[in-house]
Amino acid sequence: MDLKKLKMSKEIKLSKSILEMKFMKKTKEKVDKAEEDAEGQAMYSNEITEEMKKSGNIIFRPASITICKRLVEGRLSFGGMNPEIEKLMATDYKKIVVEVEKRKEKDITDEEMAQRHSTVVNTISNKFKKKRNRNKKFQKPPTNEPLI
Amino acid sequence: MSELSPADFYLPGEIIRNLKSKDREVIIGPGLCRNESDTKSLIASQAGYLCFRAPNTYWLEGRRNRYIPKKADLVLGIVTKKSSDNLKVDIGSAESASLSMLAFEGATKKVKPDVNVGDVIYAKVINAHKEMEPELVCIDQYYKAGKLGVLSNEGFVINLKQKLIQQMLNPENPLLRTLGRKFPYEIVIGVNGKVWMRANQCKDVLTLCRAFQIAEYQKETDIIGICRQFK
Repeated sequence: MDLKKLKMSKEIKLSKSILEMKFMKKTKEKVDKAEEDAEGQAMYSNEITEEMKKSGNIIFRPASITICKRLVEGRLSFGGMNPEIEKLMATDYKKIVVEVEKRKEKDITDEEMAQRHSTVVNTISNKFKKKRNRNKKFQKPPTNEPLI
Repeated sequence: MSELSPADFYLPGEIIRNLKSKDREVIIGPGLCRNESDTKSLIASQAGYLCFRAPNTYWLEGRRNRYIPKKADLVLGIVTKKSSDNLKVDIGSAESASLSMLAFEGATKKVKPDVNVGDVIYAKVINAHKEMEPELVCIDQYYKAGKLGVLSNEGFVINLKQKLIQQMLNPENPLLRTLGRKFPYEIVIGVNGKVWMRANQCKDVLTLCRAFQIAEYQKETDIIGICRQFK
């Protein structure tokens, strides 16, 4: 029952006048976006079916270089030159930079760790080898002999 | 981005095959267009190296310097003409872009923004078609200006190569951050190749210009290496 109710409530459509109200801004955006998406998909599906009739193939979507290369927004300020911009930068640019640097640092340490670890292992094993070589060879005691 | 190999070099008109796609979708960047006769492949429209980013993005990287407007690009423009409710903005493309007076934060039909011919504007391309003039806006979907808008006239504008612009906007490139540690400055980089800068001293602006001039002819890996020395 409850599930049904929930599903019903999700499908309820809000009237236009309610959506125009100030506190409904985010919901309005959502509804608008959903509508736009639906419209776009409808248009797109028509296009695709036509194309698919021809050969049934890949869809190409043109995009700008910003999206392809994942570039950041170009308005930047350093050293407190424009505090307003730096406030805005804190939410996007700085987060991206921290992420990038973290990824880089981690990569380097992992590699270094592996290399260093392997060299350390080698040197220590060499050390032990020499010592063992110097000493008498360890012989396994015969199993049938009592230990004491 | 991986290393560029001569096998990935294409000339205009060459056909590109064996594309990786995700859910039968491929995102294509500048320099590529659809092949009408074979829908599985693409045609190169400029000379350059084919680059790929997982899972399904392709673009050509060349030495092209002409800016071709694309939707959602953030560009820097100079106002060349002003009429009652429209501005003509030079963004370096073949045709100058149009910017509505109402596309500013808080602008209405009665209260218009204070923009004059010669002002520098940071705006977003909202419409870009081959047959039409590009259209700009200075607000986001919440009707807020954010980082967009008219820039103060204390700054300097220079033109840089597209390649360097893309390198500077790459978050992995520390060039701007390294310079920012030396002296305070503000910079606005448009994807169209125009750059606006402002610093406390004229000397610092000249330093920036010189740094960009030198960086233009360096490899990206070299720039990162040099910047690391100044840490």
